[in-house]
Amino acid sequence: MPRVSVLFAMEKSITFLHSSDWQLGMMRRFLGPDGQARWGQARLDAVARIGTVAERTGAAFVVVTGDVFEHNQVERQTILRACEALKRIPVPVVLLPGNHDALEPGSLWTSSQWQAHAPEHVTVVTGTAPIEIVPGVEIVGAPWRSRRPLSDPAAPGYADLAPVADGTVRILLAHGQLTSLSGGMSEVPTIDQAALEAAVTDGRLQYVGLGDRHSTTQVTDRIWFSGTQEVTSPEEDAPGNVLKVTIGDGIDVEPVRVGAWHMVDHRVELFDAESITALEDWFAELPDKERTYIRLAGDGSLALPLLTRLDTIIDAQGEVFASVERWAKFWTVRPAPDAADLESLQLSGPARAAMEELRQALAGGDEGAGAALSLMHRLARDAG
Amino acid sequence: MALRDFRGVKDRIVRFRALGTTVVVGDNEVGKSSLVEAFGLIFDLPDDSKSTRIKDIQPVGQDVGPEVTAELSLGGRELTYTKRWLKNRSTELTIVEPDGRRQSWTGREAHNEAERLFSQNVDPVLWQTLMVSQGQSLVLPTPADAEPLITAVTAESGTPVDGASMPLVTAVEHEYLRYWTPRGKPTGDFARSAKAVTTAELSAAQALQAMDEVRADIRRAERLNLDLEDVTARLTDHLTGVEELRERKKATDEILLRRDSVRSRAETARARLENHTRTRLDRERLLDEVERFTKYEAELAARRGDAELVARTAAETVQAAEAALAEVVELKDLRRTDVQAAERRVADLMDRAELDRLIGQQTELVDVRARIAAAGTILDRIKVDDAIVAGLEDARAAVVEARAALAAGVPEVTVRRLGAEPVELSGTGLSAAGSPGAVSPGTGSSGTGSSGAGSSGSGRSGAGLDGADGLVPGELGFDETAELLVSGELVVGVPGQLEVTVRAGGEAATLRSRVDDAVRREKDLLKKAGVKDVAAARDLLRKADTATAELNEARRTEKSLTAGGDPGERIAVLTARLGVGEEAEAEETGGKQPAVEGVPGQMSLFEEFASPHDTLFDDFEVPEPEPDDLAGAQRTLDSAREALAEAERLLSDAEFAVAQARKAADEDRSEAQNARARSELAGERLAAAVEELEAARAVLDDDAVAAAETEATAEVEAVLDELTVVQEQVDAAGADQVAGELTHALAVATRLQGERDTLRDALRTTEGRLEQSGRDGLATRRDVAELELAAIRAEHESLARRAEAARRVYETLSRHRAAAQTKYSEPLQSRIESLGRSVYGPSFRVWLDDDLAVAERELDGVRLRVDALSTGAQEQLAIITRLAISHLVSTGEGSVPVIFDDALGWSDKARLRDMGALLGRAGDHGQVIILTCMPDRYEYVPKATFIKLDG
Repeated sequence: MPRVSVLFAMEKSITFLHSSDWQLGMMRRFLGPDGQARWGQARLDAVARIGTVAERTGAAFVVVTGDVFEHNQVERQTILRACEALKRIPVPVVLLPGNHDALEPGSLWTSSQWQAHAPEHVTVVTGTAPIEIVPGVEIVGAPWRSRRPLSDPAAPGYADLAPVADGTVRILLAHGQLTSLSGGMSEVPTIDQAALEAAVTDGRLQYVGLGDRHSTTQVTDRIWFSGTQEVTSPEEDAPGNVLKVTIGDGIDVEPVRVGAWHMVDHRVELFDAESITALEDWFAELPDKERTYIRLAGDGSLALPLLTRLDTIIDAQGEVFASVERWAKFWTVRPAPDAADLESLQLSGPARAAMEELRQALAGGDEGAGAALSLMHRLARDAG
Repeated sequence: MALRDFRGVKDRIVRFRALGTTVVVGDNEVGKSSLVEAFGLIFDLPDDSKSTRIKDIQPVGQDVGPEVTAELSLGGRELTYTKRWLKNRSTELTIVEPDGRRQSWTGREAHNEAERLFSQNVDPVLWQTLMVSQGQSLVLPTPADAEPLITAVTAESGTPVDGASMPLVTAVEHEYLRYWTPRGKPTGDFARSAKAVTTAELSAAQALQAMDEVRADIRRAERLNLDLEDVTARLTDHLTGVEELRERKKATDEILLRRDSVRSRAETARARLENHTRTRLDRERLLDEVERFTKYEAELAARRGDAELVARTAAETVQAAEAALAEVVELKDLRRTDVQAAERRVADLMDRAELDRLIGQQTELVDVRARIAAAGTILDRIKVDDAIVAGLEDARAAVVEARAALAAGVPEVTVRRLGAEPVELSGTGLSAAGSPGAVSPGTGSSGTGSSGAGSSGSGRSGAGLDGADGLVPGELGFDETAELLVSGELVVGVPGQLEVTVRAGGEAATLRSRVDDAVRREKDLLKKAGVKDVAAARDLLRKADTATAELNEARRTEKSLTAGGDPGERIAVLTARLGVGEEAEAEETGGKQPAVEGVPGQMSLFEEFASPHDTLFDDFEVPEPEPDDLAGAQRTLDSAREALAEAERLLSDAEFAVAQARKAADEDRSEAQNARARSELAGERLAAAVEELEAARAVLDDDAVAAAETEATAEVEAVLDELTVVQEQVDAAGADQVAGELTHALAVATRLQGERDTLRDALRTTEGRLEQSGRDGLATRRDVAELELAAIRAEHESLARRAEAARRVYETLSRHRAAAQTKYSEPLQSRIESLGRSVYGPSFRVWLDDDLAVAERELDGVRLRVDALSTGAQEQLAIITRLAISHLVSTGEGSVPVIFDDALGWSDKARLRDMGALLGRAGDHGQVIILTCMPDRYEYVPKATFIKLDG
């Protein structure tokens, strides 16, 4: 049931929450089945926490600027759980179809599953006609009707609009990359930032809520990417936020964290026992281990016992954290057996000769010999 | 070794040579194997052991304690070890150290100490290797785990001891086998993960394909949406146009109605005009018909008169032709009668000629028959024929031949009268000499006369000289010579002076008899033929031949003359017929003339036949008198026949003319009837036309008809003018096109609606599929499948890395082990080959495997796997290998015994000799104990000590 913000009624300002890129139903290869399940639930929990924030901040409504779902063909369970999470948001919610859940044929938004279970206070932007979400607030949007738009995907939302009447706030919901931020790498048409700013400047739009970028990003004081509610990749700068937007005489936008997960890239130099210990310490100090994914980039060379120790540590931490993964592209830690290693095994005869051969092959750049040497070292140590 | 109450052994002590070969000989069941068993038990089991092995050694049915005592050297110590089980069990051990110190233990302590010493000094593998129990002699030893041997070969080969590596080798092998089969194929988790990857890839591909289909459906639906929007817009526009057309049509419908009204009136006026025109045309037709039938009826009446005239003329022509035909028929009859008369005349003349011929023939026949009779008379008189003459000639020849034989076979006496004295010749069986001449007057030379007695009488005495006929002269004239053949008796005498009697022999009489027979036969034949000699017979034969020819010729003539029958009979017939014929002829000739008369008046009726008939009747004349000659009669007959043929031709022509005339008359008559009918019909039709015209005129006269048509024409033209005006109005309004355009527009609308419906259906179908794919969560499925695939791949890659590492380690280590193995197996291999060459010769070689067991043997260049060798060779190789091991090990601080129980059972005598020598030499380096029940197998073992065990 929509509720009018008291603050807006009395002070001529309005507060609402801006979120995007929930991408419910997303899966991550680097998380195991258990991690995947917990992470998927965390994304729903973050949605529920947006409801908490809304309640706490007195937000009049919530807008979600695209990619609510990962696909149009997500499984039923995802839709039903999303609906349950939405019910926990106590104010009206406006959802904009993005490129992942475009309003295309077979769209989730027109499906019987969605329509049968969508909460009543949730509105899906299916056209460019303004929506008065609360009195004095007009929402216009540009839903994606195809994954391959032919032009600026935001333009249909505010083209030909006249400036708003006094006392009315107009919010544009759009989804896509800005030309200025895409670096020219986008495969689909981008959003004309200058045109958007012009529309803001001439009073046609009071706020532009953008989606598609998973990191919270301020474009101008009235143009924002909210970022995803829960992190999806270590590359993201500031994920896990919802934007609290207050529009009155001016505008105030404040990121509020709702995410609980961390995805971290960590680069280490490994060459001796101390470096391994330092890595152990780093692992130990990280909070929220069960909700953290570590992508390790490593370089260096280790004696065989240290290498074995490193393997043991990483294996163990993999059990503690949501996932610890060697970043294959940047993992160049090599075994470096020395004479002391071999002597300590007290091998003789053919065994010693075999190990010596492997050691020399490794020194010659034979990567396979390194793995073999490590294995032989471990077997010899265990057998001894 | 001392055994007491041990199995079947009550009490026995056996002393083995510490160095050298001992052969323990005994029958089966005397306890040879018990010695080996006892040695094992004393170290293995304490005296209080409850093992069944102990119970098994207790003599059956005896409550006694089996006891064993062994004295042995062990690790440089001398041990005396006694143990008794079950009954009064006890253990005692006494050890004498190398330095002479002596220690003793009893009970469990003794057992423990003995066990310790044994395990300390005896490698169990080596012990088992060198102690060959019964039935095990074929088993090749695999001594790689025997530490003393390894130590020995390592020391000898210089390869360091690597005992510490063995657990690693085992671990490496174990690790390798976790991932790979012995043949290098993936196995276990590694193989399963590879399979799981394949399965997951398939699942992921299927899920991906499902999503590809979804995407294709989305694109299809997008296109369908666009198309649907386009078609819907076009349809909407089009329906607007349809409505406009409908409005236009309403406006133009009024003009069209007016045009329809004028058109209707125009049609009525046109129908009325057509009616009046039809009336006018009918009137014109009637007028024309009256005129035409009037003229026609007149023409037909004239034709009818002509036809009837022609018909009558034709009937008259028929009558004339029929009259001429009757005349010609009569003429033909007359000509036939003439022919018949001429034919009869010819026949008569021919009969007369025949009669004359027959009379001549009869005269000739009489003459011929007289000649036949004469010839018959001649032939009847002559009795000679060819056979008789031939018989006579044969008889004559026989006489001559017999006489010649006589002349040759009897004495020939030539008697010549020289003087005047008469010489008388008499006797029997005399004949003148044959061919030499019987009598030669004067000269006495042989006569040249041809032959035959009596055939020539030139010689006085020669001619007719034939004893039988008495032709021999009774006396000779002067200088007359008589040559006489004497077949009987000749008496030549000068009467009163001389008489010489010559007698022929017996042969001469036979010859003479033959001559006589021939002469007699000839005479008989001559008599029978009635001739005096052969020449006369021949003359008669010629006469008979002549008469026969005459007779035959006459008979042929007679036959010819009578071939056609007896001329007399035919003469009589002809004579009779001619008599009658002449009378009839006389009658016919006198009263019969051709009776052709002219037919006055007839010919004028049929003029075309007038000329021939005139000629015919003109040529007809009264026949000439009948000629008497046949040729003349024949000519008359031919003329008559020609006349008849001419008459028949005329008849045929006349008949044809009649038929033609009748046919023409029929046709003319029919034509006349037709003409009459047509004329009558024309009259009827004329009357009808006139009647119809009059009736029509009674209704509307001719002028009124023309006036009505003119009026109707004017009306039509007026309405058409009005229609033209209205049509111009329709054209101006485009009323005719509006309806067509509307129809076309409605069709297009229908088509567009169909397209729209089709697109809607297709879109609904596609959207339905998409809805279903949404319900199925295909994207989630694809993500899950890809996630699973990534996880499985990661696990597999991890396993693959580990498997590859395991293989690398395994292969590297194996390669180095194999190299080392080759090196330290060399001392044992060398020792085996050294011993074996003493048995097999210098070509003997062996190869050992990883367990130091003999794997292959080469002999005389042939290399075979051990299991391919014969049983005997395998056993010999096993013994040699054990001896080699013993030698190797014995080179250290102590020596070890080698024990063979019941070995060399498969070797031939030569091999037994060589193996015996080998076993003997083995005793030079250590203790060799042989247990056997076949001592002869070991009789070639030099310096062996034989111990005989009794039962």
